[in-house]
Amino acid sequence: MGIVSHYKYVFQIQLIRNAGFFIFIALLQILISIGIVIGFTYLIPNPDTETILFLATGAPTIIFIFTGLVILPQQIGNAKTDGYMEYMRTWPVNRSVILGADTTIWLLITLPGIIVSTIVAHLMFTPGYDISWTVVPALLMIALTSIGIGYGFSYLLSPVASMGISQAVVFGALMFSPVNFPMDRLPEWLQSLHEVLPIYSMAEVMRASLAASTFDATIGNYINLMVWCILGFGGAIFILNRK
Amino acid sequence: MILDVKGVTKVFRGKGKSRNVANDNLTFTINKGEIFGLLGQNGAGKTTLVNQILGLLTPDDGDIELLGESVMQSPARARSICSVQPQSQVPLGLLTPKQAVTLMGKMRAGKKFNPKRVEKLFEALDMGEWANTEGEKLSGGAKRLTTFCMAVVAPGELVILDEPTNDVDPVRRRYLWQVIRDLTKNGNSVILVTHNVMEAEKAVDRVAIMDKGKILIQGDPSEVKSSVGDRMRIELSLEKELKHIEVPSWALSSHQNGSRLVFSMDPSKVSSTVNWAKDQADKGLVIDYALSPTTIEDAYIELTAKKEAVL
Repeated sequence: MGIVSHYKYVFQIQLIRNAGFFIFIALLQILISIGIVIGFTYLIPNPDTETILFLATGAPTIIFIFTGLVILPQQIGNAKTDGYMEYMRTWPVNRSVILGADTTIWLLITLPGIIVSTIVAHLMFTPGYDISWTVVPALLMIALTSIGIGYGFSYLLSPVASMGISQAVVFGALMFSPVNFPMDRLPEWLQSLHEVLPIYSMAEVMRASLAASTFDATIGNYINLMVWCILGFGGAIFILNRK
Repeated sequence: MILDVKGVTKVFRGKGKSRNVANDNLTFTINKGEIFGLLGQNGAGKTTLVNQILGLLTPDDGDIELLGESVMQSPARARSICSVQPQSQVPLGLLTPKQAVTLMGKMRAGKKFNPKRVEKLFEALDMGEWANTEGEKLSGGAKRLTTFCMAVVAPGELVILDEPTNDVDPVRRRYLWQVIRDLTKNGNSVILVTHNVMEAEKAVDRVAIMDKGKILIQGDPSEVKSSVGDRMRIELSLEKELKHIEVPSWALSSHQNGSRLVFSMDPSKVSSTVNWAKDQADKGLVIDYALSPTTIEDAYIELTAKKEAVL
């Protein structure tokens, strides 16, 4: 039987099994992404349009990081603990089909939050969105990178260890990453670290496609994302096939 | 021949130099349409063996062939030849039994999948009342039956059932054995992994008894039983503790499980045993007793106990 029909049935099983949770997370992300845009304007008194644009174009990146590096690893941790992971490994399908179906679901969950928060921010602040055609491949690439990395480390590490990493990532991404503010506010050593880590590149690529007339992303950002994406998914497939 | 296991050894290395030989030079075959019982206590190495047949683990030594081809060469092929009911419960979440079984059937059979097969299975196992209940709301037995159906809805040439009757009520257990029997009529082979020896005895064509990673004996049930000789066994329900009872000197092997005492004897001692048991009952030490030919359970206990004595 073909990969396409395998994909279809695996997708259905995975979606229905966790449907309640997925709907809850999608709703939660709408709230979080609106919250980032509005909440930070309380933190920064009288923000100028540029600051708001930074926040508004940073929120989708936070959503992707949150989904890929926090919620997804928690789900994998559960699947490992309750034996579902072992069961999936006995299915008569290619392991990358399972990974593909799950990735599609995670992608679908993040989209409502990003769309709604962008519309809300535009209506409230009109910060100067200028959405380029690159938004589709950019979103896809950023999503796949964060999902891929999430898979990579949660398959590799024990549930407890990956939970720890998740907590550190969500705090670090919100407070110490150039997602919601410009890179040059960070100390130099953190700047060099972010040149290697994927978070900065995600934010840059996202900004460049949501406000193309204000922000630019470098080729380096795209390459950085690609490398992390391949590392993540490659690692996950390697571990799934490991005996 | 469906399955050919040749000298399979699997060693797990723990921290430091600790080694656990989970499978020690196992060799056996399974033929088309055969139910093969794999018996053994917890930790005997049964699940490790199953995982190697599925290609989830690689043997350290030896080879496993499914339909004439090595599992290690193509684990994906092994997973499509075998369909599995795992030992642990499968968390179904919001999937209803009907959805779960139907989707698994489609995943295995594709366009050849027949939805009527789901109806028939649910009917045969009397599962209709739960067919559309969300998995997380099902009882343990209903969940177990659902994963059983997921394994047999579009069965592979080799169906592997790991403790399929756990949590299942006695009435549906009978239905379940019937479904398993029907599978073999269509030419599917079954590996039945269990520690429930009594139940397995009635169902299997051949058995292997495993202990500490080794196969102690294999053959059809009567062969395995005759390995402990042509004997009779008596099973007694005790009223009082065992220490009040003097087990007769002609008892060959005895074991106690709660208030149940079982021992075996030479057939020539049957009448003395009955007299002895009647005497114990008259004294109020024994509630009732039953005499029967030896079962696989006796062979199983004697074999595993023997091994411990040697060690």
